[in-house]
Amino acid sequence: MDNGVVIRTRNLSKVYRDFWGRQKVRALKALDLEIRCGEVFGLLGPNGSGKTTTIKLLLGLIFPTSGDAEVLGKQASDVTKNERIGYLPEESYLYRFLNAEETLDFYGRLFNMSSAERRQRAKELIELVGLQVARRRQLREYSKGMTRRIGLAQALINDPELILLDEPTSGLDPIGTREMKDLILDLKSKGKTIVMSSHLLADVQDVCDRIAILHQGELKELGRVDDLLKLEDVMELRVAGLSEAAREELVATIERNGAELVSIDHPTTTLEDLFLQIVRDSEARPGRRVTAATTDASATADGTPAE
Amino acid sequence: MIIEAPLPAFADWWAGAATWWLIVVGLLGAAVLVLGLIGAIVRQGPVAGPRSFVRFVGSALGDLVRMSPRRVGAIMRLAVLESVRRMVLAVFVVFIVILLFAGWYLDPGTNEPAKLYLSFLLSTTSYLVLLLALLLSVFSLPNDIRNRTIYTVVTKPVRPSELVLGRILGFSLIGTAMLAATGIASYVFVVRGLDHTHEVVVDSLVAGDSGNLTGRTSLDNGHRHEVRIGADGNGRADVAQDHWHSITAQQRGTETIYEVGPPQGMLEARVPIVGTLLFTDRQGRVGETAQDVGKESKYRSWIEGGTQGSAMYTFAGVTPEQFPDGLPVELNLGVFRTHKGDVSKGILGSIILRNPDNPEIAAAPLNFVAEEYRSDLKRFARELTTSDGDKLDLFADLAPDGRIEVKIVCLEPGQYYGMAPTDVYLRARDASFAGNMFKAYVGIWLQMVVITAIGVTLSTFLNAAVAMLGTFALILAGFARGFIDDVANNQVLGGGPLESLIRLVTQANVSTPLEPGLSTTIAQTFDDLYQGLLRAVVELIPDLGVLSQVGRLANGFNIPADGVAVHMVMTLGYVAPIFVAGYVLLKMREVAG
Repeated sequence: MDNGVVIRTRNLSKVYRDFWGRQKVRALKALDLEIRCGEVFGLLGPNGSGKTTTIKLLLGLIFPTSGDAEVLGKQASDVTKNERIGYLPEESYLYRFLNAEETLDFYGRLFNMSSAERRQRAKELIELVGLQVARRRQLREYSKGMTRRIGLAQALINDPELILLDEPTSGLDPIGTREMKDLILDLKSKGKTIVMSSHLLADVQDVCDRIAILHQGELKELGRVDDLLKLEDVMELRVAGLSEAAREELVATIERNGAELVSIDHPTTTLEDLFLQIVRDSEARPGRRVTAATTDASATADGTPAE
Repeated sequence: MIIEAPLPAFADWWAGAATWWLIVVGLLGAAVLVLGLIGAIVRQGPVAGPRSFVRFVGSALGDLVRMSPRRVGAIMRLAVLESVRRMVLAVFVVFIVILLFAGWYLDPGTNEPAKLYLSFLLSTTSYLVLLLALLLSVFSLPNDIRNRTIYTVVTKPVRPSELVLGRILGFSLIGTAMLAATGIASYVFVVRGLDHTHEVVVDSLVAGDSGNLTGRTSLDNGHRHEVRIGADGNGRADVAQDHWHSITAQQRGTETIYEVGPPQGMLEARVPIVGTLLFTDRQGRVGETAQDVGKESKYRSWIEGGTQGSAMYTFAGVTPEQFPDGLPVELNLGVFRTHKGDVSKGILGSIILRNPDNPEIAAAPLNFVAEEYRSDLKRFARELTTSDGDKLDLFADLAPDGRIEVKIVCLEPGQYYGMAPTDVYLRARDASFAGNMFKAYVGIWLQMVVITAIGVTLSTFLNAAVAMLGTFALILAGFARGFIDDVANNQVLGGGPLESLIRLVTQANVSTPLEPGLSTTIAQTFDDLYQGLLRAVVELIPDLGVLSQVGRLANGFNIPADGVAVHMVMTLGYVAPIFVAGYVLLKMREVAG
């Protein structure tokens, strides 16, 4: 790893061919990319844009048609690089006849971990992903969310330096999604490098430092999220406790200086925040229900006419 | 009851086998390397191609030598868990059900009940376990690839070599457990199923001149025995259905009770000492073969009765220490009649023990009646007499240096005895039957390991259905390896495939040469090319048939430990390159689509 570069691709291309060697799809075209240590990097793009192909190439699951990929200073085809990598696939492709403990024990063995180490690590990870109650149940009995959680646990079994997450929030409910994002930020705070692919833009925006946008196998944009999203010629002020008079004066000042007022409004929270607040409130005060009366009251209190 | 091909001694076998193995594997490896290099150059150009090829070969060698036992163990354990949780052990239940029903239709009253029971049980076990090995080995890896569970495995530091070896070991372990369970069940079934006794039918007993009694036993297990009881009240029930019983008398008041013991000589593991064989023809000329009576099988040569034709077996290691109770010579002769004679009687012959260096020193001939399809044990005491009545010592006079000659002649003119080197042997001792059964199961186990390795290897680059068909085809070819060898070496009557086709169409006799002509030349040239190719390919087909020793067990012969060692090394010789091939194929493959 020179200059803290964890992943480097040069002219990385992938063409899928049929049985007769004829070109079927050109999935990735001459990708040049560098991902540095400690950052959360997002691969964005619509379906079929080459995100998953890139991750598969980095992991050595498929071989490049041309160009090369280095991961942690080694060729992508070198299995020893996997000692320091964790991978969560798009869907948690795990052995459904194993239970959670057996699953983590199995993957721990693949890292040559000792028995005591495997037991300790499995216990920690099962707690981390909140599957203590279901640790002895076969994965075939797991819900999709639970399967994602155990999938994440297996990706972290070796305490990896580099974690590749393919659609990490896919199949998770809002709480699971928030926990996943918190976990990603937590891993980042511990110095891990995270590469995630997603087409859920809000998730990427929430956690990624840098992103690459792929379309039809080509790199279309690359940079820091905040730089890319920043509207240089627009300014946003968020003010609390502003009186009506002060507001009018502010508008007048803007007009007087020849600027265009794009909007002035009360901001809204996100639906995710609202949902999480309600669920936490419900957990804190179980038994409280929303009735027509409470709905009317809250509507009236907000100044909105109740229907 | 014959053993056509004695197993080779390990010491005599390994050097030649190892050399041949190195030649075949070396040539194959070289061919693969050359093809790989050409492929890399074609795909990546003359500069990058060789570089990438060398990198691949280096990495492949690294993968092979740096395998982690723990990772191999993990994959093996996964294969076992997968099999167990997918109810594969239900196969054992199927076997038990077959055993339960077998009791209904296996007739212990047949001539050779032990052979019937053992052949049936071991064949059933073979079919079930080999089928299990086939199904387990070909479905696992393609399922992993199809379900993409392999993604989470190969993204760990797992080498393809570990994936292949772990699976081979895991499924072999399942097969081993299955074989152990079916083996124990089979042993109990055979021993209990054949165990029986009789009662002496007192009314049938007739007193002889010397106070001996003769009579018969009750009819049990579909047979009865002739009984001979001595003046002391003890005796034996004569051989029937390949076994006999001892009889002891017990006096209870005024009544004599005859107790018939358990069957003996039924479940045995004879240890034969085989000698060398020479023949004399009807004019007395010595040769390695005798007459051909026109039978398709060339296994035996035939000597004509009433002529100077004879078979001379020379055995070594005949010492008083080895044979303290005299010389046990067991005969398994073939009989060929040119006229019917008395079909209810066997053909008369005689055995003469001679000093091989001085044939003038010979014991008086022992006349006997040869019966087909039965082993006939003759015991020669240490003290013998010549035809003139002079005394001879078996060891001092006939085998002073441990070698003795056993000469066999047919006495009836116009009738023939057929003999091969393994038809007459010294029965040195009897080994443990249970131990022999274990060794027979080791043979099935070796077949199972080879099939598992083939299945796993084919499944590294084929989908499950195609891998199953491919493995099945190789199993068939493996069991027919002897025949394929014969076809490749032009040892089959009727020529190669094209010549045979012409014979089929023209209804030409297989033993008559085809009419010379253009079509014959074309057919035979094609067949020569085909057979040359087949000779090369046949070396790549594991000889599965030779690994099984079920016939030897069923016929009551000991399976030598030396032979088992040969087969184990042979299996390793098959499995090692199959494993390497599976590893290389998996390494070259993109496991994600």
